[in-house]
Amino acid sequence: MKTISTLTSLSILSCLFFLSCTKEPISVPQPVTRVQVLSVPFSTRGAYTFFSFKDSTSVTPLDSNSTKWDFAIRFTRIIVNSQASGPGNAGVIMQDGIFNSILTAPATGYSHDTTSTSLAIKDGSWYDYNPRTHAFIPKAGKIFIFRTANGTNYAKMQFLGVDYAPFTGPVPSTLLYKFEYTYQPGAGNSFQ
Amino acid sequence: MNGFVRKLLLIVSTFIFLKAGAQKLVVADTIFGSGDPLVVTATRLAGKSSRAPLPITVITAQEIRKTGLLRLQDILQEQTGVAIINAPLGNALNGYPNPFGQGIQLMGLDPAYTLILLDGEPLVGRNAGILNTGRIATGDIQQVEIVKGPASSLYGSEAMAGVINILTQKPDNNSLNAQLFTGSQATRSGSLSVTQKNTKSSLHLFAHQYSSGGYDLDPQTWGKTQDPFRILSGNVKWIYEPRPRHQITLSVRLNNNVQNNRYQVQSISQPEIVSGQTKDNDFTAFLQWRYQLAGRGRLTFRSFLNAYSNASFVQWEKTGALFDAIDFRQQMLKQELEYQLPRKSGGQLLALAGWSTDQVIATRYANQPPLSSFFASLQEEWKLMKNKLTLHVGGRIDKREDFAARLSPRMAVAWYPADRWKITASIGGGFKAPDFRHMYLNFSNSQIGYSLVGAAALGNELLRMQQLGLLQAGADITPYQAAAGLRPEYGTGLHVSARYANSASSLRAGVFYNRINGQIDLFSLPFTRNNGLPIYSYYNAGNIFSRGIEIEGQVRLSKYFSLQVGYQFLEAKDLQVLRAIDAKSLYRRDPVTYVTTLLTRNQYVGLPNRSKHMGQIKWMFEQPAAGRFAYLRVMYRSAFGWMDINGNRVIDDPREMAEGFFMANLSVSQRINSHFSLQGGIENILNYTHPQYAPHLPGRQWTLSVIFQVKSNQPSN
Repeated sequence: MKTISTLTSLSILSCLFFLSCTKEPISVPQPVTRVQVLSVPFSTRGAYTFFSFKDSTSVTPLDSNSTKWDFAIRFTRIIVNSQASGPGNAGVIMQDGIFNSILTAPATGYSHDTTSTSLAIKDGSWYDYNPRTHAFIPKAGKIFIFRTANGTNYAKMQFLGVDYAPFTGPVPSTLLYKFEYTYQPGAGNSFQ
Repeated sequence: MNGFVRKLLLIVSTFIFLKAGAQKLVVADTIFGSGDPLVVTATRLAGKSSRAPLPITVITAQEIRKTGLLRLQDILQEQTGVAIINAPLGNALNGYPNPFGQGIQLMGLDPAYTLILLDGEPLVGRNAGILNTGRIATGDIQQVEIVKGPASSLYGSEAMAGVINILTQKPDNNSLNAQLFTGSQATRSGSLSVTQKNTKSSLHLFAHQYSSGGYDLDPQTWGKTQDPFRILSGNVKWIYEPRPRHQITLSVRLNNNVQNNRYQVQSISQPEIVSGQTKDNDFTAFLQWRYQLAGRGRLTFRSFLNAYSNASFVQWEKTGALFDAIDFRQQMLKQELEYQLPRKSGGQLLALAGWSTDQVIATRYANQPPLSSFFASLQEEWKLMKNKLTLHVGGRIDKREDFAARLSPRMAVAWYPADRWKITASIGGGFKAPDFRHMYLNFSNSQIGYSLVGAAALGNELLRMQQLGLLQAGADITPYQAAAGLRPEYGTGLHVSARYANSASSLRAGVFYNRINGQIDLFSLPFTRNNGLPIYSYYNAGNIFSRGIEIEGQVRLSKYFSLQVGYQFLEAKDLQVLRAIDAKSLYRRDPVTYVTTLLTRNQYVGLPNRSKHMGQIKWMFEQPAAGRFAYLRVMYRSAFGWMDINGNRVIDDPREMAEGFFMANLSVSQRINSHFSLQGGIENILNYTHPQYAPHLPGRQWTLSVIFQVKSNQPSN
């Protein structure tokens, strides 16, 4: 428990630190840590939901053929903006560890969506499905380290939860992906 | 045959009309008074329970009657170290909202590892490893024997955690028993049991009906938690001694259970009601011929058939069109020859060989021919050191046609160092062959869309799905086309216990350790169905252990009061999880703060559904002369793991646990005259209910029954 509270206070402190830093007009851009919720349709067909680390927002599907997005989700399938999935130069490394302890992004070793059927992030590799509650539970300690679509910036990301948006009727309509990420807007691969 | 029927009718009618109140009523033993019953399950050789070299719990017919309970699982739940657990996943109708059954957890091991025997013969028809004990009417039970620890050396596959042997009434005296029962939730029951013993033959007839209106624990979910059902069962047992030294036993039993299903499913646009029935039939036939050889030896031939079937359907209530139907049938036929030789020294030899076939035909199962098994077993029991030491050594070889032969050894020793003391130690090996579900299940959930495919059916099913375009594009199925399949699970169990007993009290304390290697578990394939949902199959996952302490004591407090206590401390863990914790490769995410940390050994609670502490206290007040008793039992189960919510598939957070609970049952009885007595009770006095954690427990229930009994020890002519 002690470890947990220490880590919690550490992360709170670092958040405060980052926030205060981003507000100040300084020349060296500092990494940004955010927790975000992305609404994804409960459907294995149709459009992906695209996300940009740089803009920390979802990107319209109209821009799918651009480097404005870094990764996208459809149901539980994740694509990264590279090769078969998009014109970008994004890549991803999946790694087990503690989010806050990953201080730098590796220089090499990034995987790409080589074809539409061999994606960098294998479906099912990052969550457990509970057939009793139909819950998708992201595996704890699964960290995604991204090189962004422009090929120069880095981000680390972990899922915190996947929930169903309140629904009426036979099937859920929306999955709410809650995730935490740190994006380095400047040069270099440091997350601190 | 006609002659037999006429004779049978004659026997029954003679009995009913001629047996009047003249018979002397035999006052039932007090609950703790008959403390040393004969047992057979531990070593397959009849012997006093106090002399058995293995931990054995005996529930006598008197004890069952005094609890007033009519369901076997309720009675088992009152025993030390026995937990009734719910299995939420199994073969059930699509959209069926309720768990489909409860199983018996012994020493923290799953229900699939406890072999259930009826008169020494194994029952089949498990759903997700669980055998529905509702198939057995308690009114006809003479004794239930619970032997803890691996017993595959005697009973073969499945007997890894232990064996529960349900022994039905033997026709050893003349008696007539009838009971009428009524209780809350429209529970009604009636039973009749007739036994007639003649010089050459004896006959026992039993008929029983039980019905319940069901109950609803969860108003949020449409429909009842337990749908209304009724059970009809009958048993005929006939023992015939045509010539001296020959004895033939024939027993036929039928159990028929009908449940009315009614629940809500999600139609395309709105919820709709479906309703139908589940019919469950269980038929057993047993034939035994026993021949006392000229020397001391004895030869026994047994043949046993168990045909089990379960068929369910539901249809849309509005249109009457079929919504879903499932069907499961299993048949097992077993023949064996046994040789017993009592030694002059007091020891015994037992040799056994036999053969069985087992077949499942079911919707959702790939077709397969019957599977044959051969087995042979040899046991020797020595009495040493002037009878102060009993040594038992045995082993059994099982060969199922699809697996290599397996040897299960066992050694047990009982030592009587001084008067009133007994110390036992036993070590045994157990195994469980992959069952039909692990091999041949082929199930796709039509509402959610995941698939669960048995290991032996996986290659073909994946090929079929790929050809139909049902798999995720680009899925590489080649590794599963030539998969080696499953290995049997095997395990070891170790038990040491000491017991002290005097005329007024007894105390037993023991420790146990069980390990199961290559436990068969679910895994999800690295690719999905084309709808993005997982495909599951089975594999030999890894090793688990359970260890604990067991304490049982009983004491006569005064002339009328006696007290019985039992306690089990348990720890059951997955060795892979411990290894991953030590390798710092397993994480936990705090469900509230979302902070991820490495999992520690202290945080890891253990396997789900296991309570660290379980115990019970039973108070008995009895005045045999006045024909009255009151029997209060309080059971406790501490918190147990329920399900992972924080992303590591293990139980490591209080929010992943079900809270502990108390259960209390009371029964009181008063004799009216030499034949009639009245019995009443309150089950679940504290009204503990939980729709998920304990759907098998209805709320507080009042019961009342009238019991009629005539008994005689004199054989009639």
